Parts: sequence; C-alpha cells; structure tokens
Amino acid sequence: MPTMLQLLPNAAAHAVAAAAAAQSGAAEPSPRTFWMPPGASTIAPGVDLTLEVINWICYAFFAVIVALMVYFVAKYRHRRGERFRTEFPHHNTPLEIGWSVLPTLIVIGIFVVGFRSYLDIYTAPKNAFDIKVTAQKWGWTFQYPNGAQSEDLYVPSGKPVRLVLRSNDVLHSLYIPDFRVKRDVVPGRYTYMWFQCDHPTGLPGAELRDPNAKTVSGPLDASQRHALHCTEYCGTGHSKMNRYVYVLDETTFGEWMSKQAQWIDDIPEEELFFKAGPKLFQRCVQCHSLDGVNGIGPSWKGIIDRVKAYPMVGEGKKYATYQDYIRTSILVPGDYVVPPYANAMPTFKGQLNDKAIDALIGYMEHLDDFDPKTGKYLKAPAAK
Amino acid sequence: MTTVPLPTSGPIRDTLEARPDSDNYLTHTRGVLSWVFTLDHKRIGVMYMWAVLASFLLGGIFALLLRTELLTPGPTITADASVYNKWFTLHGAIMVFLVIIPSIPAALGNVILPIMLGAKDVAFPKLNLFSFYLWMSGAVLCIVSLAMGGFDTGWTFYTPYSTTTDTGGVIPVLTAVFLLGFSSIFTGLNFVVTVHKLRPPGMTWFRMPLFLWALYATAIIQVLATPVLGITLLLLIVERTINIGIFNPSMGGDPVLYQHFFWFYSHPAVYIMILPAMGIISEIIAINSHRSIFGYRFIAFSSIAIAMFSFIVWGHHMFTSGQSPLMNTLFSAISFSVAIPSAVKVFNWVATLYKGSVSLTTPMWYALAFIFLFTIGGLTGLHLATLSTDVHLHDTYFVVAHFHYVMMGSALIAMIGGLHHWWPKIFGRMYHEKLGTVACWIIFIGFNVTFFTQFMLGSQGMPRRYYDYQPEYQVYHVISTMGSYIMAFGFTLTAVSLFGSFFTGQRAPANPWGGRSLEWQCASPPPFDNFAKTPRVGDCYDFTDVHWDEKTGGYWVDESADTAKDGRPA
Repeated sequence: MPTMLQLLPNAAAHAVAAAAAAQSGAAEPSPRTFWMPPGASTIAPGVDLTLEVINWICYAFFAVIVALMVYFVAKYRHRRGERFRTEFPHHNTPLEIGWSVLPTLIVIGIFVVGFRSYLDIYTAPKNAFDIKVTAQKWGWTFQYPNGAQSEDLYVPSGKPVRLVLRSNDVLHSLYIPDFRVKRDVVPGRYTYMWFQCDHPTGLPGAELRDPNAKTVSGPLDASQRHALHCTEYCGTGHSKMNRYVYVLDETTFGEWMSKQAQWIDDIPEEELFFKAGPKLFQRCVQCHSLDGVNGIGPSWKGIIDRVKAYPMVGEGKKYATYQDYIRTSILVPGDYVVPPYANAMPTFKGQLNDKAIDALIGYMEHLDDFDPKTGKYLKAPAAK
Repeated sequence: MTTVPLPTSGPIRDTLEARPDSDNYLTHTRGVLSWVFTLDHKRIGVMYMWAVLASFLLGGIFALLLRTELLTPGPTITADASVYNKWFTLHGAIMVFLVIIPSIPAALGNVILPIMLGAKDVAFPKLNLFSFYLWMSGAVLCIVSLAMGGFDTGWTFYTPYSTTTDTGGVIPVLTAVFLLGFSSIFTGLNFVVTVHKLRPPGMTWFRMPLFLWALYATAIIQVLATPVLGITLLLLIVERTINIGIFNPSMGGDPVLYQHFFWFYSHPAVYIMILPAMGIISEIIAINSHRSIFGYRFIAFSSIAIAMFSFIVWGHHMFTSGQSPLMNTLFSAISFSVAIPSAVKVFNWVATLYKGSVSLTTPMWYALAFIFLFTIGGLTGLHLATLSTDVHLHDTYFVVAHFHYVMMGSALIAMIGGLHHWWPKIFGRMYHEKLGTVACWIIFIGFNVTFFTQFMLGSQGMPRRYYDYQPEYQVYHVISTMGSYIMAFGFTLTAVSLFGSFFTGQRAPANPWGGRSLEWQCASPPPFDNFAKTPRVGDCYDFTDVHWDEKTGGYWVDESADTAKDGRPA
C-alpha cells in the first residue's frame, strides 16, 4: 500500500509547514459555529474541515433517504379494501451493487481524510516545549521545566507544546475543546499529546483569582481563555476537574514561569499562612471546606483542636505533635484515616514542599482570622 | 406427509375463527405454578417481556432523574454528585443488560421464532427456562446491589476506578451481569440449534423470514462474544476481592487491557442489540407494504456481514486511550466497513416501499421512525469512526447522542414496533390503533428533541457523565430535558394503548396485517402446540394471494392459488 506509506512523511511535512506559518503570525482563532467551539490550535482547521466534509455527506444521504421514504409512503399509500399493487421489482442487481460500491468509495475517502489530519494531531514536532501533567482525583498539576507548578495550564503561543501525562490514581482524560485535542491519562504509563496555539489570551484577570470560587464556572473573563476538561469518568468530582488554558506570548510566558517557580520562596516565614495558605488551599477545596460543612473530607474549621484530641496524637504516641499528624495526612493520606471518612485523599508527596506544608498548617491554625465567606484575611495590615 | 386437498377458500378462515375461544397457550393450563415451571416458549417469552418492560420502567425513571438534575448547572435535585453518578450508572447498566440485550431475542424472539419456523418449541425447552431463571437471578442481584449501596462505576466498569471505588454494590452487580451473560449465551445457543434443526420441510435458508436471519446472526454473536465478558467480569471480581493485579497498575495490571477485553464483548453487543431490531423492521416494512422485500439476499447476507465485522472493530472505542496509532488506523479503517452493510439495509427498506401498497399501521409508523432515526445514528457513526474528528468528539455528548440514536432510537423503537406488530398474536387482543400511532409520533418528536440537541452539546465540547457544567451549555440541557419529558408522556400513552387492549381491545384476527410468514397462519393467541396441522411453507414475502376479509377484520391467505402457481402440493 504505497499510498498509505507516502502519507506519513507528507503529514509530518504538513505539520512543519503549519508550524512555520504560525511563526510568522496567524489570523484570529476561528469563531464558534453551529457545530464547533472556537478553533484556536493549528490542527483545528484540519479537524473542522474533516467534520464539515462528513457533515455534508451526511446531510446529502439523510435528505435523499428521508425524501424518498416520505415520497414513496405518500405515493403508494394503501387503504383498506383496495387491491394490492402487483407490479414491482423484487431486486435489481446493478442497483444493489451500485449502492454498495458508492458508500464504500465514500467511506474510503473519509477514512483517508481523517487519517491524514489524525497524523497531524498525533505527531508532535521535535522542537516541542514539554510540560508534565499529573492528574489525580480531582485536579490537575502542570509542571514546567524550571520547576514551576500551576493548576491552570499556561502555554507559550506560537510554539508547539507537548504534554506528558500521568495519573496518580484512576483513568482521567485531558480535553481542550478549542484545541480539538484529547488524550487519556492512564495510571502506570505515560501518554502524550501536543498542540500549538498562535493566539495569546493574556493572563487571567484579577477576578478570576478569587480564592473562594468553588467552581470555575464563574463569570467569564473577557479574554479568550480556553476550557480544559476531564473526559474520562473518575468519580465524585469528575465534573469539577475543569480548569483553563491561558496562552501567553513568549516574553510574558517566560516572566510568568520564573515568577511561578519561586512564588513561595519569596514569602517570609511569618507571612506564609496568609499569603501562601489561601492559595494552596485551592487544591484542597474540592473536598474540604472552611465553614464547618463536611464534604468528601472533614471541614478545616476547628481542625487543629480536633486533631489534638485524637487518641493517637500526643507525646509518645504514633504522632508526637498535631503538626506531625497533619503533615502525614497530606503526604500519606491513608496512614491513619479517621472515620467516617473514606480513604479518598490523594497524596501530595512531591507536589507540596515543606514550606508549603508549613503554610497550610499555619493557615489551619489561623482560620479564625479569615472571613469564612469571602476568605479575606481580617487582620491584614501587611497583606498588600 | 399426505396431501390434504385444499378447498379454494373458506375452511382456513373457519378454523382460525373457531380457535380463539377454545384452547390457547394462555388458557391451556392454569395457576401460578403452570407459569413458573412452564416449558412453553411462548410463556417464557411473555415472562421475559414483563420483566424487560418492568426494567425499562426502572431505567426510564433513572433517565428522567438524570435529565432533571441537568436542568441547571450545579445542584438541581441532588446536591451530591456521587448520587448523580449512581443514577447514570444504573440507567446505563439497566438499559443495556436488562432491557435492550434481552428485549428482542429473549422476549419477542422466544415467542415468535419457533412459530415462524413452524416448530412446536425451541430445540431445548428446559435450557430455555433455565436461562430465564438465570436472567431473573441477575435482575434480583441488581436489586440487591442497589440495597448494598449501589455502584458508581459507569456501566462500562472501567478499571482501576471500578476496583477501587468504595460503593458497596459493585461485586453483586458484576455477578449479576455475569449471570445475565450466561442467560444470553444459552438463549443464543438454543436459537442457533433451533434454526438449524427445526426448520420444516420446504423452508430452505433462503425461504426464512428475515427476522429469523437476524435472530440467527445475533445468536452467533451471543454465543461467541458473551463468554469474553463473563471471564472479564470474573477477573474484575478476583482483582477486587483478593487483590490479584490484572487491571490495576498499582498491583502490576494494565487498565487498557480491561478496555480491550470489555469492548471485545461490548462492541459486538451493540449488534446483539441492533441486528434483531433490523430483522423486525424488515418484517414490518415488507408486510405493511404488501409486497416482496426488495433484495432479500442482500439483507440476509448483510446481517451475517455485520455479525462478522462486529468482532473486529472494538478498538474504535479506544482511539484516545493510548493505543498505538497503527492500531487506531486499522480499527478506524475496519469500522468504516460496518457502514456498508448497514447502508445497504436502509436502501433496501426504502426500495421496498417503492411501488408497494403501504398501510400506515402503528408498527409501520415505528418502522418509518426507525429508518429516520437509524439513518441519523448510522451517519453520525462516520464522525466517530474518523480518527481526527473522533479525538474531538470522544467521551462528549456527541457520543451519547450517537449511541442513543442507535440503541434507543433504533433498537428500542424497533422493539416497541415489534411489540405492536405481534401484540395481537401474543395476547389475542387489538390495541387502540389511533392512540398507538399518536404515541409513536410523540415519542419520535420527544426523542429528537432530547437527543439531537446532544449532538450540538457534544461537538461544542461538553463531556459526558458530568454532574456540573458551564452555564453556556444550559440552553441545550433544558431543551434536552424537555424532550425527555415529552418522550415519557409518549411512552405512557403507549402503555395505555397496549395494556388497555386487555380491557377494551377487540379480539384479534389470526392475521391482522396480512402477513405470509407462519406465525400468521395459526390462531391469535396461538394454541398450546402452535399448529393444529403442520403448516405449509411458501414464499413468506409473496403477498399476492393475501386478501382482506371484512368479517374477521383480518386477512386470509388463498393457498390454493399459491399451490397452483409453484405446482407444489401443500
């Protein structure tokens, strides 16, 4: 099958050409249509064209089939008592062969078109910028080459980006509708996906950083950020695994990345609990609340007092101090599970360093100083 | 066989008219035990039918709960996402394993297949009863699993979520599906043997009604594919109970292996659902067009072709799973091949209407609705078989809409159409024709409102199995939910029309639609042993000698004319 083999280098060349075109600056993302969301990646036009071609084939077949059906029923309608028609064809071999062969040719065509644009989706260019993605119930962690981490995805524009995906627990799937890409995140193996977006969205607006927004379905920022979903069912919080993709021009991205890498290092020890605590808490908010309402995990309200009262916490016991217990619960959540909660918490080992854990414990200790509704630090002369 | 001289007309009608008041399979013996221990295929089929309809009601209630919850983003009627997750899991599991898979073969097939063959029963009546009780134990275990906390795995039981979730009903439901699988295997085995061994003299393979071809092709898939599901679920139970790592990577297993095993059964299972539906449609369209079906052999062979292709396309459920691109390419190419026999069937059905004499009975309305809906369901399969578009559409509402068009809009609509078609035969009563037709229209409209919207929802990027969603999707969800209420109303009317026939329905004639296949040559309801005398096998799609009889309100077949035509004695 020489044609198939020829397609491979062809598609790679195609991808390179697309990347080159992108470097020189490209048009706006394609607008939302009746069928498709805005198309913001370099592969989107190919996918959309394929879909459009298939749609028109479908419209044509559907129209012909239903029109003939309705016409025949109306024209050959029979009423009780009438004689049945006896002159009709039983079969017509050329016609039947014809309508077997015609769809065969059409589907071969569709397959080839879909296969070619699939190779573009599948084959990451060699110079791609790598971002590591860890999925776990029920959030994403994106890790950048300089050690920075984020829960929303930030990518440079005009540059192919390759995501290296892994899961800490069950199957997840990373889906960015505007980029037309999707890949399952499979525990026990690495999977990959790539895309390139040439249209910067800018950094999120201030209102999007509200630490108490429990869902991301708040009012949309005017910028054209792109939704990111989990599309493989992963349990209770599956529909909460939505984040956003921000596309930044190369300079902004560089600045953002280096700032992001050291944000916690710049905060003095004594300010950690109110500067870093609320921010880190965003990773806990799917399961823990601040207002005393228990979710999948216990509320943090009064947690320090409760932990101190646990029978296994105290001098000479399993956990010498309450800090010790909380630290272990973050790093090895299954170590000691307090009923009635299930062993549902994922580990944050490798994601939170000691300073971050200190910040969280400090946050728990000072919860009374925060407004439980807005999350604002009430004694904040120093904050900002 | 001695030749019985056939008068030109009359006596056949007389015997048919005489029979309904006398002995039939419903009245032959009485008492609960006569049903519990019955070996009669018709009674077993009827018991299946009630059980399947009850399951359909239950699955439908879960569907309505789901749709109501999705009226608004965030909490609507439950504030707990895991409750919603149990609802969609139960809806899927009940509708697939307890409703659609057994609905046509086990319920309608059991009643009709032996009569269509002119046989007294299936080949192994005791095995038939055994498979009914296996099915019942499966159904009871499903209820038990609900009592034990339900399960939230999704009907696909994907690992490692299914082996690690702490909902209590997972093992009972896995056992239930295992038992349901065996029930399906035994029914399939029974049908294969019955079709091979119990055909009457004169019924060659190419004189079989197309419903039998479809059931035969289905039975082959049931026998060959279902064991794979059984062993897969058993492995899942083993992994969950004694922690042997087969699918869970934290114990050295491979979750993608599970997906291969699961879809190796569950893709052919799609054809277990749709093939018998296609068989019903072939019957309804031919009989209500009162002309021979166009391209009989093409339809018959396309059933077998679909059955064979169904085994080698499972990988198209896994294009984004991390499967190698070579595998994806091969599975994509093979998947397209299923489109051809499916398209051929649709063309043949439409061509059968051409120069026919089309009676718009309720079953015929269902058949026309089937062609409309199956065309949409089939064509949108093209989007999903195509690699690059599937990457975007996979696991979104587009897929949900697509498989509802095929499983519900096609398989279930055909099942309801078939129920109307054979209802007079099975229970000896005519349902309310106008009400039945109106209900069919309401279901058809409600169905399209519900599910066509979901194509847009999915292609716009809404993932499936989401309890919460972004506000921009709400308008689609509201329309879709309204559609589901319309559909629920339509199904209620259908139930009134069908069940009302027991109280107000007219006595059904032996042959209310003008059929030629053998089930229309015995009384309605059929006698206990189906046929008083061995029926004569003719061309089951030759309607030229079928005549309307005002007196009985049914049709009669002038067999003497037929005898004269092909020169064979009866």
